[in-house]
Amino acid sequence: MRQLQPLWNVWKARGGRLLIGLVLAELSVCAAFLLMGQTGSRLGLIAIGGVVAFGILRFAGAARIILRYLERLATHDATFRVLADIRLWFYRNLAKGAAAGLGFRRSGDLLSRLVADVQSLDSLYLRILVPLATALFSLPIVIWVCLKGSLLLALSIGVIFCLVAFALPALMAKLSYRWGPELQQAQADMNNQALDLVGGMRELRIFGQEDAAAERFLAAEEAFYTVQRRQGQAMAHIHAISLLLTRLGIILALAGCAGVFFPEEQAVMGITILFVVMTALDSIVDLPRAGLLFGRIRHAAERVVDATVMPEGTPAEGTAPAPAGHEIEGRDVTFGWTPEKPVLQNVNFRLRAGERAALVGPSGAGKSSLAALLLKVVAPQEGSITLGGQDMASIQTEALREQVAWLSQASHLFDDTIRSNLLLGREGFSDKALWAALEQAQIADFVRSLPAGLDSWIGENGSHISGGQGRRIALARVLLSEAPVLILDEPGTGLDLETERAFLATLNQLDRSRTILLITHRLTGVEQLDHLWTLHEGRLKSQPL
Amino acid sequence: MENFYSVCFSFPRFLCICLPMKADKKMLKGWVRQQNGANRPATMCMALIGMCNVLAGMVLVWSLASILAGLLAGGGRLDARWLGIFILMSVVRVILGYVQEHLAVSSGELARKRLRRELLSRFFAQGPALLRHQHSAALASLLTDRIEALEGYFARWLPASALWVVAQWSVVLVVFWQNHRAGLILGGCCLSLPFFQAVFGIATAIASRRQLLALNRLQVRFLDRIRGIATIVLSGNAEKDAQGLGQAADELRQRTMKVLRLAFLTSASTDVAMIVALVWIVIDQRHGLMHGGSVAQTTSILFAVLMVPEAFAPFRALSAAYQDRAQITSSGEAIQKLPTLPEMAAGTSADQPRAERTARGIELDVQGVSYQWVKDRPLALDDVSFQLKAGDVALLTGPSGAGKSTLIEMLLGFIRPLEGSIRLGGVDLQALGPAEITQQISWIGQKPVIFAGTLRENIMFAAPEASEKQLQAALEASSITGYLPLLPDGLETRLGEGGFGLSGGQAQRIAIARAFLKDAPLLIMDEPTAHLDPMTEQDILMSLRGLLKGRTALISTHSPQFHNIGETVRLTMETGRLTEQETLA
Repeated sequence: MRQLQPLWNVWKARGGRLLIGLVLAELSVCAAFLLMGQTGSRLGLIAIGGVVAFGILRFAGAARIILRYLERLATHDATFRVLADIRLWFYRNLAKGAAAGLGFRRSGDLLSRLVADVQSLDSLYLRILVPLATALFSLPIVIWVCLKGSLLLALSIGVIFCLVAFALPALMAKLSYRWGPELQQAQADMNNQALDLVGGMRELRIFGQEDAAAERFLAAEEAFYTVQRRQGQAMAHIHAISLLLTRLGIILALAGCAGVFFPEEQAVMGITILFVVMTALDSIVDLPRAGLLFGRIRHAAERVVDATVMPEGTPAEGTAPAPAGHEIEGRDVTFGWTPEKPVLQNVNFRLRAGERAALVGPSGAGKSSLAALLLKVVAPQEGSITLGGQDMASIQTEALREQVAWLSQASHLFDDTIRSNLLLGREGFSDKALWAALEQAQIADFVRSLPAGLDSWIGENGSHISGGQGRRIALARVLLSEAPVLILDEPGTGLDLETERAFLATLNQLDRSRTILLITHRLTGVEQLDHLWTLHEGRLKSQPL
Repeated sequence: MENFYSVCFSFPRFLCICLPMKADKKMLKGWVRQQNGANRPATMCMALIGMCNVLAGMVLVWSLASILAGLLAGGGRLDARWLGIFILMSVVRVILGYVQEHLAVSSGELARKRLRRELLSRFFAQGPALLRHQHSAALASLLTDRIEALEGYFARWLPASALWVVAQWSVVLVVFWQNHRAGLILGGCCLSLPFFQAVFGIATAIASRRQLLALNRLQVRFLDRIRGIATIVLSGNAEKDAQGLGQAADELRQRTMKVLRLAFLTSASTDVAMIVALVWIVIDQRHGLMHGGSVAQTTSILFAVLMVPEAFAPFRALSAAYQDRAQITSSGEAIQKLPTLPEMAAGTSADQPRAERTARGIELDVQGVSYQWVKDRPLALDDVSFQLKAGDVALLTGPSGAGKSTLIEMLLGFIRPLEGSIRLGGVDLQALGPAEITQQISWIGQKPVIFAGTLRENIMFAAPEASEKQLQAALEASSITGYLPLLPDGLETRLGEGGFGLSGGQAQRIAIARAFLKDAPLLIMDEPTAHLDPMTEQDILMSLRGLLKGRTALISTHSPQFHNIGETVRLTMETGRLTEQETLA
């Protein structure tokens, strides 16, 4: 449970509101007890011919209705606040540590899964904490009512109440926590089979393997349901046990009425106790299900908290502001994502302000690692990199990234307008500046042809536009930034040769105030370069132009 | 969020009258109705057990009322007969609930399995052309998550909606039969439910539907932001964006709470109806009992009071399952959004003409084919004609968007020409089923899909009956033998998701090995080296040369390195047309 500490800290900030929700929920349950208790005692009194007043009954009814309404409002308001807090907390932490590194690995699916995990935390308060806390506070009230009859009755009802409200849910939570990995594995297997089947549809058709793939997928589905069914059965058993226990409680209270626990003359009181016990037990009978949910949420919470932990090797935050000069120099840089397997060994390079360099090498040679070093996503294990003569390690990370703009193969296009995709939250850019960037990226004509122009929606990951157009918008975004250093990591991905050439030719026309590092697996011949570097087996070599 | 959804519940039928219905909505409704129909036996079975449970509840409550009435009358003795019935009925209800839960689990499972099989056959009938219209990840999530989310709809919502009216009114009738006045009060309160729902419900349902949409949009925005978080962080804008996200969430909360204030009135009205029924019956019945009523009278009053929660329970179950109902709409919409492509006919009869293969390959004759992906858009292929003799190697070039990929998908039989015809080895492709077409063709794309499985499985699936000797030959011809020693478990190394990662060149060699193993007379390649660096490209070209021997080939490529691979024909395409056609000596 200790792993969930960071989440509790987020919750603490909203402690007041969460508490008000809990108090209202408890008061509303008390009103229900009063209402049913009064119903029982009034009926009993009428039946034995007593004089009866209905004031409290009416009051309890009205109170129950109003309190229930207020409770719903308060708990939902608190939930919405916490919900936003948790998302922001997650976003900020991910941004601080893991996010930059994720840009250099394939991780879209992982992140989607994490977002689903964050969403599952939403029910923690409404569906687990509120019912559990109400049960906890109801217990003394129920025992107090039963004590008016007899100690023995109070004790036995108390035991049953604790079993149903706490022991069974705890057992369920433990079981579902233990089952979590197995179920998740089965589901992941099924999802992978589905991805293989759909993504590999061409291969499957051409090699006549469609039926075989369908069979494999359906087998994975069956395996998933086998696990799920086993858990469903356990759940049904535990639910049946909790139902039986509550019936036992009602029978005990009934026995009380019949004079087993206290003198039978107190029949009216007996009925009151019976009605209250029935209400109380009915309100907790579904708690084992909350236990099941809790087991699942614990796994989700652990994954979420794990994701926000800073990965090892994240460079420390510097203090110095960005220097005025933009010359980049690497001295004896050695780096590997795992220290035992360095991808760069004793690499030396120098890129003066305004120069253009291309770094060429086969995939996996460490080209992107160099980009990660220049963006201070990672730090070299040996050697140093300086910007304007200042060691990058000492420069503030955000300030550094304002100087170095990056276009990667994985640059994300947001499900938003072209304008927002260019700005990414930055302010103070005129439409003219936007158009100039689009012009430079050679996409202005296309944007102009759209009916909504800059305000056209480009869809999820740019699905409304072609891959090449998307790359150009991502480039325009980079060109819009005033960063003096541009790192372009495989800008030709997804473009055909002609388009790629035209695109690279536009880079030649950029003014010489910007330094450009082009990372690519092959040159097209149109690049105008000051340096050509190749990277092979961790060594950087300067090639004649 | 359960409550949030359940408060949005209001009579869907009212809404249907109020809101104008579009054609796609009608289709969606038709699809939902079809799903309901397919699940009817299971739904009815569960509803029947639910009804038995309600009846058992009546007997149970009657026995309890009788016991209490007896005690109040002063006898002081517990009536053993009624107590026995009470205990028996308690156990019966637990058992019925248990059976119902089992049924719900299995019915939800069956429905999901049925839907998956339907989708699978639809995917396969429409073929790989589907991938042109929708991203594979979206299709895969439709097949898994979207269908998974429907469990509650089949397991809970359908039985609850089939049961609630009958269950509620049979309780009211039984109470009325035992105690007229109480029955009338209870019936009146139950009648007020639809009335309240109509008054508060329609306004809030419309507003909350919009709200739900906004909530959904925020979730989507959050997901989108997280997926692209590296892009934001590395542009130095993370904090500004976080503030924007926080603001949007807060605005949404304020607007949502405004709607909820009204929406909770709808659920409060259910509370009002139930509590008024309870209090009213108690107060009203004092006249019947004043100065000591008979045991029978007391029993009927206690019965009426204790039945009040039972009368409202079915309606509550329905409200609790409301969020499950929302799922079917969103999943249904996603399924409706699937493009409706013409389905390919399954394989035709056995006595059809066989495509004729020679030792040098197979003849390919394309005559005036045209194709259009989307109506009102320019033709993707416009009157394209060319001929390849057996053994010809054609290089196909042209800018992206010129129609090269469309032509290739047509040759592979994924789509059918709108006009014109294609003859393979003298046989019209139209006459062949997809399976017969692909028997004659091997294909190498830009990036092969590596399936989760061993390297051996990934190659052998091209020809499951191939011998070990043939496999070795394919491994050598594709130069996989070059990197085989580097793999941890050789041929048995696990690849794909979670397995050993191969480089682009290594993966492409698997595609080549598959083509060798399949040994089809026509070879089609779609930019096979687009993702490779020049050195790897050279190596791959060496292997491809071997593959070309004795085959007819069509190679689409941008790379100048392909010249001199031994091509005999050069084709150039532009905006859907074949602009150049050059036969080399």
